[in-house]
Amino acid sequence: MSSAAQEFLRRAVEKSADLTHRQIIRRGVDQYSSANDRGRGRFSDWEAARQRCHEIKWEALNNLDRYLLEFEQRVKERGGHVFWAADSAEACRYITELAVSRGVHKMVKSKSMVAEEIHLSPALEKAGVQAIETDLGEYIVQLRDEPPYHIVTPAMHLTRKDIAALFKEKLGDVDTDDPVELVAVARRALRRDFFSAEMGISGANFLVADAGMIAVTTNEGNGRLCTSVPRIHVALAGIEKVIPRLQDLALFWPVLATAGTGQPITCYNTLIGGPRKPNEVDGPEEFHVVLLDNGRSELLADVEQRDVLHCIRCGACLNVCPVFRTVGGHTYGTTYPGPIGSVLTPHLRGLDEFQHLSYASSLCGACTDACPVKIDLHHHLLENRRNAVNHSTRPWSERIGFKLWQWTMQSAARFRFMGGLARMALRVTHRLGLDGTAFDPMGPWSKNHAAPRVPEKSFRALWGKDHAAN
Amino acid sequence: MPQTENPSREKILARIRTALREPAPRHEAAGARAIFAPVTGLLDRFQKECAINLTEYVAVPNLRASGPAIKEILAALPPGEIFVQDSPDLRDLASEWQDGRTIQWSSEGGPRESSQATISLCEALVAQTGSVLVSAACGGRGASVVAPVHIVVATLPQLLPDIDAALARVQERGIVAQNSFLCLITGSSRTADIEKILVMGAHGPRRLIVVLAMS
Repeated sequence: MSSAAQEFLRRAVEKSADLTHRQIIRRGVDQYSSANDRGRGRFSDWEAARQRCHEIKWEALNNLDRYLLEFEQRVKERGGHVFWAADSAEACRYITELAVSRGVHKMVKSKSMVAEEIHLSPALEKAGVQAIETDLGEYIVQLRDEPPYHIVTPAMHLTRKDIAALFKEKLGDVDTDDPVELVAVARRALRRDFFSAEMGISGANFLVADAGMIAVTTNEGNGRLCTSVPRIHVALAGIEKVIPRLQDLALFWPVLATAGTGQPITCYNTLIGGPRKPNEVDGPEEFHVVLLDNGRSELLADVEQRDVLHCIRCGACLNVCPVFRTVGGHTYGTTYPGPIGSVLTPHLRGLDEFQHLSYASSLCGACTDACPVKIDLHHHLLENRRNAVNHSTRPWSERIGFKLWQWTMQSAARFRFMGGLARMALRVTHRLGLDGTAFDPMGPWSKNHAAPRVPEKSFRALWGKDHAAN
Repeated sequence: MPQTENPSREKILARIRTALREPAPRHEAAGARAIFAPVTGLLDRFQKECAINLTEYVAVPNLRASGPAIKEILAALPPGEIFVQDSPDLRDLASEWQDGRTIQWSSEGGPRESSQATISLCEALVAQTGSVLVSAACGGRGASVVAPVHIVVATLPQLLPDIDAALARVQERGIVAQNSFLCLITGSSRTADIEKILVMGAHGPRRLIVVLAMS
């Protein structure tokens, strides 16, 4: 078992037994589901919306080179720079060198999952640039020195009391756990940072090819300040974020909001293309877009799972997933948690190390139903299981086990014989009081459950007797 | 400024092209199924949506009458300067509400942290979601986010049925090409990052007020 898998299991056991944690998460996702239900009710045909989103993303991904080049061309015409980064190291190097060469001391960042993926903030800090998260949830987890818990609500696992204690410790002037006051404290602290930072970094929800603009969605407005006040703006996005037309946003904006939080539409849907124009009042002097590959082009080559790149990072699949709801976001130990993370991570970070995530699912399919761009998530988990068996190392005990199972199932006599053997083994184990130990064939299950009594007669024996009596 | 060096550009493009040799399967097409019900009764819908997203809505008979309406809004705000988009219409109106306040016109630079409110025009209003579409021309990027109150002065012909129509209008009129920034604003800044409890005025304005002139 990989070390990531062991760590996953350890945390899963711990978190699923933490009832306070489960209560916090349940309240969060319950609120989400009622808002999401209301939100979907605003569409006359939600299924048609999902279908149309799928089609637009299909068109974009299956002509990715063409739309990326169109986007690049238009951004350059607007006076912006476009940098293509093959991997995390190249992306971090470009942004760090840019910051150092322009004398940047402080960088303010709005939420970007890609920045988490490439570990941008530590890279900048190493180069002597202070990196400050400005999304409230991200700011909170940064103060706690933790990764985000959830794609959309990074501090979902914390209560107001936790946050009040954290602010008191780190910021000093806090003597309340009223959310309004806590937000005001963060606002005051971050305003100083917005106006003293030389560089702002944002993600991009969409790269709009025909307009040469990035689209950034934010409720708090931190994404607006990051891209308006500092003199350099760097937008960081995966190559899969491109969409063909500005007009497509008339659908994607409401769909993203509904799937993400249940809102009809997010407060600020911003379009940015290029630095401030000569006749404009304000805005950065430099605008850079970093397009990140980092394994995406390999996933693109996987025809079966190409649609994983359709993901708009709304977090809907996390909220509906019974596994996520039980073990929480940090247990995954990945940038992208929940079903989408379980599908995507083996592609980005290796099937050997992360194949266990394919089993972090009940295969109930709630994720697939919730996905606004119709990614076939739970089937992709199954495909990853198959790929793991075919292309990666599985334990010898599992391989022998399946061979034995195959041999058993191919003949009625063998099935009867093995069934008898198994009942006998279980009976002996239970009589010796070894249930739940390494000697128990049902060990992993009976470790946490009372083992059922093994019936005297097998199903076949009972069936035979009844039929003989008739 | 030097051209951005791009050592991996060709490599990434080549990988994409190789990957795309085989097409991906696609789901059945949605065809012409309507995704949203058509928006009718624009003004009613706009008002209703504003109420939902907590945008304050003030109707005035004409542009001239928006002066006193703005004056009333500003009277309740703490003393301090007001940032205003430098446009002939808003210059005309300023005498109606100024009342001794300092005005910073957008032509003099971006809004300061100390601004108490911003007054700007917009490119369009959207009935479907109760939204305001602004561009860099509406006082710049900071105009709609720096001050705690944002007052938008709009006229009825700017009210469009849906986002689709609003995006079509700004593209047709060259506004997309002429501006480095556009924003579809729906309500004022908010967060629910603490226990999913809604708090207004996270980083941007606490209040968004639309003053709509009927003619």
